[in-house]
Amino acid sequence: MLPRFELYQPTTLPEALGMLSETGGNVRPFAGGTNLIPDLRGGREQARKFVSLAGLDDLRFTRFANGRVEIGSLTTVSDLHRSHEVLRNAPALHASATAFAGHMVRCTATIAGNICYGSPSADLLPPLLSLDANVTLASAAGLRILPLSRFNLGYKQTALKPGEMMTQISWPQPARGTVQLFYKLGLRKGDAISVISAAVSLTLKQMVCTHARIALGSVAATVVRAERAEALLLGRELTEKLIGEAAELAADASAPIDDLRASKEYRLHTARVLVRRLLRQAAEGPGEAGSTRRSTEG
Amino acid sequence: MVETVPTATNSPNVQLHQVGKPLIRTDAPNKAYGNTLYAGDLTMPGMLYAKVFRADRPSALIVKVDTARARALEGVRCVLTAWDLPDRLVVTDIPGQTGGKTKNTAQPILAKERVRFFNEPIALIAADSEEIAASARDLIEVEYAPFPGVFDRAEALTAGAPLVDGDANVVAAYKIRKGDTERGFEEADLVIENSFRTQVQEQAFLEPEAGLAWMDDKNVLNIKVSTQVVEHFRAIADALGIPHNRVHIEAMYVGGGFGGKEGLTIEMMLALLAYNTRKPVRLILTREESFVNHGNRHPFTLHYRSGVKKDGRITAMEVRLIADSGAYSKLSPYVLLYATVGAPGPYKVDNLKVDSVVAATNNLSTCAFRGFGTMQACVAYEGQMDEIAKSLGLTPLEVRQKNFIHTGDRNATGQKIESAVWSEQCAIQALEALGERAKGNDVVKIGRGLACYQQSYGRIRWFKDSSEAWVGIEVDGTVIVRCAVTDIGAGQSSSLAQIAAEVLGVPMEKVVTYFGDCTLNPLAGTSSASRALYMTGNATKMAATKVRDNLLEWAGRHFQVPPDDLQLVEFRVTAISDPARSMPIDELARRCAADGVHRHHLAMFKAPTSEGLDPETGQGEVFPDFTYGAHACEVAVDTETGEVTVLKSVGAHDVGQSLNPQSVAGQIEGSALMGQGFALCEEIIQRNGVLVTPSFSEYLIPTSEDVPETKAIILESRSGLGPFGSKGMGEPAFAPVAASIANAVADAIGVRIFELPITSEKVINALARKASGQVKMH
Repeated sequence: MLPRFELYQPTTLPEALGMLSETGGNVRPFAGGTNLIPDLRGGREQARKFVSLAGLDDLRFTRFANGRVEIGSLTTVSDLHRSHEVLRNAPALHASATAFAGHMVRCTATIAGNICYGSPSADLLPPLLSLDANVTLASAAGLRILPLSRFNLGYKQTALKPGEMMTQISWPQPARGTVQLFYKLGLRKGDAISVISAAVSLTLKQMVCTHARIALGSVAATVVRAERAEALLLGRELTEKLIGEAAELAADASAPIDDLRASKEYRLHTARVLVRRLLRQAAEGPGEAGSTRRSTEG
Repeated sequence: MVETVPTATNSPNVQLHQVGKPLIRTDAPNKAYGNTLYAGDLTMPGMLYAKVFRADRPSALIVKVDTARARALEGVRCVLTAWDLPDRLVVTDIPGQTGGKTKNTAQPILAKERVRFFNEPIALIAADSEEIAASARDLIEVEYAPFPGVFDRAEALTAGAPLVDGDANVVAAYKIRKGDTERGFEEADLVIENSFRTQVQEQAFLEPEAGLAWMDDKNVLNIKVSTQVVEHFRAIADALGIPHNRVHIEAMYVGGGFGGKEGLTIEMMLALLAYNTRKPVRLILTREESFVNHGNRHPFTLHYRSGVKKDGRITAMEVRLIADSGAYSKLSPYVLLYATVGAPGPYKVDNLKVDSVVAATNNLSTCAFRGFGTMQACVAYEGQMDEIAKSLGLTPLEVRQKNFIHTGDRNATGQKIESAVWSEQCAIQALEALGERAKGNDVVKIGRGLACYQQSYGRIRWFKDSSEAWVGIEVDGTVIVRCAVTDIGAGQSSSLAQIAAEVLGVPMEKVVTYFGDCTLNPLAGTSSASRALYMTGNATKMAATKVRDNLLEWAGRHFQVPPDDLQLVEFRVTAISDPARSMPIDELARRCAADGVHRHHLAMFKAPTSEGLDPETGQGEVFPDFTYGAHACEVAVDTETGEVTVLKSVGAHDVGQSLNPQSVAGQIEGSALMGQGFALCEEIIQRNGVLVTPSFSEYLIPTSEDVPETKAIILESRSGLGPFGSKGMGEPAFAPVAASIANAVADAIGVRIFELPITSEKVINALARKASGQVKMH
């Protein structure tokens, strides 16, 4: 059963940051609670003091202006899922929001909660990583901005310091014609935890790759970028041979484990398959708001 | 009119006015509006809250249980361990039966010297609040000593394996010897041999176990509970050492059972705490507790060897089955018997040899679950049929058509099939309903699967099953049905109202069914074994018919016509020969009452009985009758990721007569979902007896995004033993689903996966084996 815990309910950001800092760091931000509540119930979460962020409506926004995208930290996954601008400008992120858990969880879970929980199976992380997103962290002392690639440090370990909370996620609008794709493989289609997921963001000029990002989920302690594969693609024509080589390098970038959901071998195999599939798809249809979740919908 | 002899006719033997129509179920509106009270919604003044302390390991000796700190906690009213209980065991055999218990099925109420499975209950707590009860649970300390366990069913049967209980791990074993298998195999042009494995499945009913118990001012122990079986009052009374008439169980509307609430679940715990505290006690299990609290589906190893002629005819079949009962036998002997009798499926196999055994292990208990052994066999025999078809170049339908059992044939145990067998019609209609085949490509392969089955309905004949029901008509023309059937969500009580309405000619909304009460209603037996409608429906129809006869006898005298010239339709009694002779039913009931005519009747329906099987040959009559049908599906398999998507799903079943076609469709649709879970993603996984899939985070049932719309095709032979010629449908609809999906996947990728569930990873591994030529080619 749910243990007793204290929940502070600030209505402004400064108030919230004050509460987070006052208690000497043993108080945690509480956003959607879709991980925290099951963890509290299951005895996996030891904290007993939380600052509810539910009253901070100012942190729930999506802005697309001046070549930048800015998403407030309390934007729910279903806000992303319902946003036409997200669909148009960040189709891979949109696809990951669509594949995210089930309807009830999507309506409550927030983008920052998904990032800050620090799970390698977080659905939103591969697309955000492939977009070179930055995260803004606030504390009573001020703000700092960190690349997302330096935020998730290990399994459930983040750069978040005591007294800090995430307020915004942002990234530069990709160049026109950049293809953004996402694919999630789960043990079932609804309400699934990913066995493996992949996102690519690829800019092609006459089939020559001018920008490449490949991110993989559930293949290591954190979501990882396949940087050698990205480097291989850069400045080259996206041929079937190159795609195959990049997929191999992407698999090399992953260090998966055996768990209840799948074996290490299966994850390595599908890392290769997914990267190859997304790169092929990018080669076939640049500029499409194409995003896949499973083959039969493709 | 008792229809113990079926009439194989294709036309209705009565003109039906309400039966067979999709009337709004009596339980539906309040469930839809959220008004229905389930057991967990109940409260009483002064109520205590219960918690169960469970072992944290699967096999150990208990050195000491220290409850001192828990007992000392303020607000704790009672802590019970095995040392506080009367030294009685609770009988788990044949729930709801009056006699015929077999030995060695008793199980301790709480673990005493030994823990035999993970999370076995050790102590019960009642406290002023749920929080206090949970805190007290954390204060209980148990000192264990190591004791070896056995977790593999084959290993459990080897010499020297740790013993789970008694002097052997064999819980039950059966054999069937029919015809001459040696000669049958000699005659065969081809012999196909395969081993299949099925996994443990969790019932995953919507409503976890819940109940409320209290002692009343008559010194009667009352238990309101979510259960499939109110007849457990006897076992509870015996365990407490009190008379049977002092335990009163009332089953609330139940949020699903599927066999998981057939055995005792929490009734005994509630009874002990209420009896000891003399206060109301409520216990509601969490989902995680529910997973370990009831017996799940038996995992099976199924070895099949089939001899066939070139034309597809089966000449011989040899089957070996090994099942895992977990630590306590519960209903394992019967589950194994169902699998044994069902081993050849809906096919005529004259030369048959079956050897089966169920082993005790230190795994979680297995018990009753929709399909009850028969559906596991279906995965294997239908897999065999497709492998035979593939080897011989026949279609799956053709090879089945060569072998289907027909009315008048004798089945595996020599029992003559009396009712209609429409396997072929069902298979053809299911396949046709799949329509045009989806288009695949180099990566995504499309496959189709068909599975047929034979599933019994009604209990094993030597249980000598019976059911009672009482029907009465009030002077305002309203009707009461009293029957202690439990309503587990399939419309059990509504169906009885529909039957009474049909027989007595009143609208269904004028009927109230009082159900699920073991003391105030006539006992009706369990809602299990696909027997509820068959047994309680017949009893209700008998009782209603007697009331009707009484009313019509009076009306015949009044209208001066013979009673068989009268009909009761649309709330009127009317002479067919002279419609002017007519009166409303309320007036008829009133006038009958004034003249002292009996307006109510208590009827008992008895199922056909037998005295068991020949132990050497396994020949004899086991079940009252069988349901036949088919499920077909179409799947897409992504050969790079291994993902399986079910695109189409069709169930076609001869239900005899549908009482309410919507309820039948509900059974078929729910079965499609549950069967898909068994085929593709559901698996209770234990590592050395420790459950590693303890919640819905790890144990994955299909979601609405995973399943296609199911098409339900209802055929009506009106040949069954149930009311109006109906057959059981609760389990039959489920029996073939997983087999059809497994067959479809094999069809799509050209290689079979012999071990369920068929996960994406197993698909990839099977394709890799196929590519490297490691697959046995026929």
